Amino acid sequence: MNKRITAGAAAFALAALGFALSPASAAVKTADESSCGTAGAFCVGVVTDTGKVDDKSFNQAAWEGAKAGASKAGGFSKYIESLDSKDYAANIDLFASKKYNVIVTVGFLMADATVAAAAKYPDIKFIGVDQFNGTTAANFSGLIFDEDKGGFIVGYLAGYLTKSGKTAAIAGGPSTIPPVRKYIEGFANGVAYAAKEQKKKLAKASTVYYTGANAFNDPVWGATTAKQYLSQGYDVIFAAGGRTGNGGLAAIAKKKGAFCIGVDLDQWLTLPEAHGCLVTSAEKRLVAGVSSLVGQIKGGTFKGGNFVGTVGASPYHDLASKVPAAVQKKVSATLKKLIDGSLPTGVKQ
Amino acid sequence: MTKFLSFKSILTFILIAITGFLYSKDGVITTSVVATALIFGLPLALAAMVGIMCERTGIVNIGIEGTLLFSSFIGFFVASSTNNGVFGIFSAITAGVVTGLFLAFMSISWKMDQIIAGTIINILATGLTSFLYTQGRMAPTTTPIDIPFFSSIPFFGQVLFMHGPLVYFGLVVIFALYVALYHTSWGLRSRAVGEHPGSADTAGVSVFRLRYLNVALAGAVGGLAGAYLSLELVGSWDRGFTAGKGFTALALMIFGRWNPMGALAAAMFFGLTQAITNQLMFSDVAHIPEQFVNMLPYVLTIVVLAISAGKVRPPAAEGLQYEKEKA
Repeated sequence: MNKRITAGAAAFALAALGFALSPASAAVKTADESSCGTAGAFCVGVVTDTGKVDDKSFNQAAWEGAKAGASKAGGFSKYIESLDSKDYAANIDLFASKKYNVIVTVGFLMADATVAAAAKYPDIKFIGVDQFNGTTAANFSGLIFDEDKGGFIVGYLAGYLTKSGKTAAIAGGPSTIPPVRKYIEGFANGVAYAAKEQKKKLAKASTVYYTGANAFNDPVWGATTAKQYLSQGYDVIFAAGGRTGNGGLAAIAKKKGAFCIGVDLDQWLTLPEAHGCLVTSAEKRLVAGVSSLVGQIKGGTFKGGNFVGTVGASPYHDLASKVPAAVQKKVSATLKKLIDGSLPTGVKQ
Repeated sequence: MTKFLSFKSILTFILIAITGFLYSKDGVITTSVVATALIFGLPLALAAMVGIMCERTGIVNIGIEGTLLFSSFIGFFVASSTNNGVFGIFSAITAGVVTGLFLAFMSISWKMDQIIAGTIINILATGLTSFLYTQGRMAPTTTPIDIPFFSSIPFFGQVLFMHGPLVYFGLVVIFALYVALYHTSWGLRSRAVGEHPGSADTAGVSVFRLRYLNVALAGAVGGLAGAYLSLELVGSWDRGFTAGKGFTALALMIFGRWNPMGALAAAMFFGLTQAITNQLMFSDVAHIPEQFVNMLPYVLTIVVLAISAGKVRPPAAEGLQYEKEKA
């Protein structure tokens, strides 16, 4: 009996490790959903990946973009938070059954579910944030970004800011997720480029990827890993990856003299605990990307395929005084060259 | 037992030898890795103490994850609202006691299935904290205290004597718990209640009262672990913050054979493998796929467990309801 209980407990513990225990889905209403599907109605639904809609990162930006796009088009918007990756299809179905015009799915992990749904519901337009669309479906557009350029530009800045010559990047997810890998490799190449430009010998940027069961959702791992880097003298650290990255940023902020770099959004605005170190963020202009795609759908100019949004480095905010004016100028010049393509990042696509 | 002892000493010896060798190669990295092992392992060790204190008196606690989540949340938000870190820490401990009492209430007074009672705590904690959470808050956090003289010892200084106050306090709690469990009458009674509550009752020990007390105290230790996570280690709180640490702790408790020192060693070993895993990627020593590298902590733990565990026996009365006159 006892043995059985222990075995049960252990099995339960192991099983539970695999789940992110999450609360019931929440939803926000700005108008009545029941009018969706009637003539003139324009409804935009957002399905998050297992992060939350106020994750200060990806899901939040997609949701804000959808909200902005919908309100510009006079429509209404609503979101569903996915509790588990198994729920992606069911959540998409939920919006589809209520005859939404546009369904936005967030994150690389939802790519398969989105492709399947686009085939299943040809009358609904799909926007796959951070999903490369390899299909020919006319009702599905992937919103993609050149993460390597975003990573490169902040790496370039890091190469100028580091005093110890040791820079690092912490990824909140595995390198098998292309956006994660491109950010991190872009960062390393940016550091190397800055070293070459300064004719300084900087160590190759050190990188670490998280591959546990809680990708993007393990702030304690992020913080501990950041501390491990700090104790080895790394002084500019790029922490990329949802709440895992946020944990790292918060931990670095407590160390005097260290710089940290955020990701996806201007994290200065959303993560006050990182203000001590946050010099910039490798930013995907997600809000603009989603809202302009929603606008295209409303205006009838929407095409399938992929839509490349813009990337950039967020403002330096209070840490602007720590970045010499000459460096600031170099960063904006380099960013321009990256965006127009005259400076390749050297990262495999 | 002797087999286990000899294996343990061999393993310890090997670890020390490897550490010494690596230290001679690269002092900075070796020190950093071992220090990180403590940072990784301590919250797990404290969480495992929660399980030990409960199970030793016969209450299965599956709700450690919920206790950690709830107390780390309360600690962070009280510290944030009052702008007082000490207040936050005490609130986290109180929150831990509350979850402990709730578990005791369900499983002792209501005689609920203890696995279900613990699961209720996990679900409640996740729901409540996610509902009450507001983003963009800041809280004062503890600052590291370098212990004079000791912190200047090479290697050991950085590994043991340059941490935040809750690390020291947590270690003291673990050692105190070990002493209390095996060398005080409270410990003897607690273990008796966990093994054979009927006999303990006959000997004049109040089974209910002791179980209530221990589960509540365990909650306090869990609250300390929560406070450490949000107010010292990370300095932030987010939904699903603990990411399964409470479940890992349950496994470490069994690994450590329901013994505080065993669980501490298991947690440190797990923390060490985590830190080494990180370091393998940091230093890019070999181009091994990171998924493989990240398996290391789990694989090594299973290997050591398979060799060292032998027969693991949980407390005999664990998970069983005790009713006077019926046992």
